[in-house]
Order: sequence, then structure tokens, then C-alpha cells
Amino acid sequence: MSAGAGDVRPAGGPGGGAWLVVADAGWPAALRVARGTSSGVSAAVVGPRALADAVAAAGVPVLWAEPAGGTPAEAYAAPLAEQLAAERPALLVGTTHPASRALLGAAAALAGARLLTGAVAAEPTTGGTGGTDGTGGSTGAGGSAWTVRRTLLDGAVVETLDSPSPVALLVQGAGADDDAPPPAPVAGTVRPVAAAPAAMTLTTVPSAEPAGGLEDARVVVAFGRGVRSRDDVALIERLADALGAQVACSMPVADDRGWLDRSRYVGRSGRHIAPRLYLTVGISGAPQHLEGVRGAQVVAAVDQDPAARIFRVADYGVVGDLYEVVPALITALQG
Amino acid sequence: MRVVIVYSWARDTGAASVRADGSVDWRGGRTAPGEDDPAALAVARQLAEDTGGEVTGLTLGDGDASWVLARGVGSTWSVGDAPLLADDAATAGILAAAVRAIGDVDVVVVGDAAERAGVPAALAGLLGWPALLGVTAASAVGEAPGAAGTAGTAGATDGVGAADATAVRVTRPSPSGTETITAAPPLVLGVAAESGTHRAPGMKELLAARRRPVTPLTLARIGAGADDVTSRGTELPPAAPTRVFEGPPDQVAGQLVAALRAGGVL
Repeated sequence: MSAGAGDVRPAGGPGGGAWLVVADAGWPAALRVARGTSSGVSAAVVGPRALADAVAAAGVPVLWAEPAGGTPAEAYAAPLAEQLAAERPALLVGTTHPASRALLGAAAALAGARLLTGAVAAEPTTGGTGGTDGTGGSTGAGGSAWTVRRTLLDGAVVETLDSPSPVALLVQGAGADDDAPPPAPVAGTVRPVAAAPAAMTLTTVPSAEPAGGLEDARVVVAFGRGVRSRDDVALIERLADALGAQVACSMPVADDRGWLDRSRYVGRSGRHIAPRLYLTVGISGAPQHLEGVRGAQVVAAVDQDPAARIFRVADYGVVGDLYEVVPALITALQG
Repeated sequence: MRVVIVYSWARDTGAASVRADGSVDWRGGRTAPGEDDPAALAVARQLAEDTGGEVTGLTLGDGDASWVLARGVGSTWSVGDAPLLADDAATAGILAAAVRAIGDVDVVVVGDAAERAGVPAALAGLLGWPALLGVTAASAVGEAPGAAGTAGTAGATDGVGAADATAVRVTRPSPSGTETITAAPPLVLGVAAESGTHRAPGMKELLAARRRPVTPLTLARIGAGADDVTSRGTELPPAAPTRVFEGPPDQVAGQLVAALRAGGVL
């Protein structure tokens, strides 16, 4: 990436302003955090033209690199980092998507920025001392200080952090988290740039297993290892019928026990879904699982352990034996 | 191929509890194997097996060396005075300095923990290596992308000798299916757990672990800093906390259904 960088330097904000790093559809969540800083926001996009256009349509000037066919976005991490370091960013923001993180990690290292996960808000403060180079040295990049709020423990608490130097923030993105109508397109803000990628090849094999309607379901009932036997899955299916829901499961149910097809398990390495209601039964709430359902509007959980992690993130929790609570729920729903 | 597996480098978030005032009790704050560490170790061992190479462990703070030594890793390094930091780049800075101290490393494999998602990304950035994250499996292949011939078409070593395995092929899930990426070392791989069940080592393996070497490192020896951001503390989120129903099954089931209906969810 080298051409035309000066044309998209942000107009305001500390240091070189806020830069959005985009390689996936979850970027609106990162943009909200960036805009909340009142800094001028620019974006570096690695992906298809449609992705660059979508970011530009949000009113953000875009530097755009289009990956050559069969090349992953990660291959552009080094040239993107060089480009962004030259902009002396005061703030870098990206999502937790694997490719976006790889790009942001490279950019943060070269810019001498701190890197904080789980960010939900940031604001500039005074008294910055410049960036760090990872070994305690100062790069002087940006020279701005930040106060960052981030979630910990699956959202159970919010931590406030002060950084004396530029920061890079990872924001939990969700592909369908923007209910607002798209903004009016802004013409002429996408500037293609040349970049020499690292030698990598990418192939994608479409899933042979249908998702079973999970992605589009309004209501999903998911069960975990709290269900003791395969025969008991019928009880969960009766609950799903009463709710008009699709049935999903946690990773061990599909992967270790094989009770449901692997296309039915929800988690970081499984399905990512965003139903209106996600009801868990006998799921403790491991981070791997919760990451697949961050887009759910309402989470309700049934578990006999009142200390289960799922109760940190659920909107509603029922503490009890699922073999007693689920039949009662079916009765209540039919009443 | 020399592979470093980074393990027990963060606190066990599952052991933490949130007090009523929003502060967090970390139960001593010791490091512990993460949810993704077993999967990361499996990937590291696979790469070493494919290439006739070796796996070396690396842990921070009070990480229990026997965890990796009892699982077949021949030796491990430990940065004993590394503190637990909020800044993922600072944590990655310590790991990067340790990897440089170990030397001649081809691939660093790290559990891709959601709560510390920045660490493998920042580690790659600080090393100046590419990062492939969200990985669920990896193998060595005989030809690197960009080399002469057909790039990235061979299977795991595919009949080539171990010395000919010059690239790494990783797979990971994507919304549309499965992605396969082939790249040449050096690389940082962030590995996400795909299986929730892992075999625990037996007594024989635990005893053998005691005889395997642990090389101590210090921040001063590897030239790493431990400069961190400052925490003002934690608080409960502004959103309403979980509404918990406890009592007889019929009662709590009725309360949940009523709440969902009142909220317009059903």
C-alpha cells in the first residue's frame, strides 16, 4: 500500500486520528467505537470492492486493497501496517474476526500501540507519552493518551483503563448487528492502493452440511452436557416444538458425543447465530460457545449450577434441574 | 520445523467471580491452561510430527510446566517474573522477546482465547511474522506458496520427506464453509478449540515430566518490558443484570415464560 495515502488523512482528532481496520462484515461495531471518540475516522479495507463501498457509504474515507484471487486478507498485514504507521494513528479499531485481528496486530505493532480486547468505548485524554515498541521503548507515535472501557468475563463486568499512548482496540463484531438503515452513499471516497502480499494461498470449500435453518431462526433452543443421555434429546425437541424453535447444541454434544450433526453446534469454531431468543439448557457457557451467539437479542438459560458462566451473560436465568424445569416450561408454553 | 507452544499464559477466567460491587475476585490470579491450549498443543505436535521437528513449550509467570511436559513436549521455557497484563501488546511483547531468546523458531502456536484475542495478533506483529488466527487444524506440506511448481496442493507431507516440508497448511471454519490457507514459516498460529474433551496424562507421564528440562527466563534476560495500562477497576455493566428465577420448577417455568411474553420475545 503506498499510493494516495495523504488524500485520506483524517481531518481531526489526536495524532493521526482514528483508523478503522476492516476485513469482515462486522465492521459497523468497530466504527461505532471509533466514532464515539470524536476523532476523524478513516478506514483501511482489505477485501472485495463491495466491502470498501459499504464502509465508504458510512461516510468514512477508505484506503482499499483488493486481495488477488486465492490470497487471504492476512497476506496484506505487513504492507497495511506500514501504510497505517505512516499515518501516525492515535487509535486503531478492528473486530475480532481472524483476518481483521491479524491486520490490526501488525498495524498496532508497527505503530507502537497498546492492544486491548473487548473494547466498547474510548475517549482521548491528555498527558500522552507516545507509543511503546513492545520492549518498553517509546516510538512517539501519535503522542496521545486514551481512556478505554472494555468488557471482561463474557460481559459480566466493565473495566476502565488508562493508556498513556496510542491504542489499538478489538471490538466484538457481528455481521448482522446493525439494525439501522444504511446511510446514503458517499461518492468518491474509496481509493484503491497497490500492495504486495505475502506468499499465501486461500481456498474455501463450501459447507456440505446444511445449517438446519439455525442462521435464520428467530428462536433457538440449545443444549449441552447437562443432558445426560441421547434419548433425552427428545425432551429438548419437545421444548423446541413448543417454542417453534430450531435445536442447536454446544460443541461437546456434536463433536464428542455425536448426538447432533456438527452443523448444529454453536460456538467460535461452529455456527454463529443471532436469533431473537436463545434458550440454553444444561450449557455452562464456555467462552468458545458464547462467542457463537453474541448476536442473540435475548438469552435465557436453564442450569442447575447457580455459578455457571452462562448466568453472567443471560438476560434470564432459571436455576434448577433441567429434567424438572423443561417439562414445566413445555406446560407453561402450552398454557 | 521447530514449533513453540505457548501455554498457561493468562488467568483462568472460569475461576473468577464477580462481587456485588462489580469488582472481580480472581482467586489468587494464577495462570492456568486456557480453553484452547490443548488444541494449540495438538497443532504444535502435528507440525513437529509432520516434519520430524520438535516442540518447545513457553509459559509465563507461575504457569505449571508439567502441563506441557506431561503431554509429550520434551522441554519448556518459562518467563517466571512475567506479570499478568491488561495490554495484549505488552503480553505479546514478552512472548516475542522469549521466542527470540529461544531462537531458530519456525512456528509459534498460541491458544486463540476470546478474552485475550489480541495476544496472538500482536505477537505476530511484534515478530514481524504473518498471523493465521481462528485455526482449528494444521499440517506441514511440501511446497510453499510462490515456490516453483504447484503451490499448496499437497496433503500433509504427502510422501515428501520431512526435510522437504517447507510450508504450513491450516484450516478454519468460515461462515460459508471451511477455509484452507497455505503459507511458509515463520508464522504465528492462533488455535481455537474444536473439541471440548482432552485426555489427561497418567501418573507415568506426570512422573516423566519431572525429568524434562525447564529453562528459566527473566524479563531482564530477554530484554522485555512489562509496562502496562492502568486499570481504574471494574464495575457492573449498565445493562440490567441477569434476572434469575429460583424456586419450584412449575413456578420458575411460569415466571420465565411470562417474562419472555411480557418482553415481546415470544
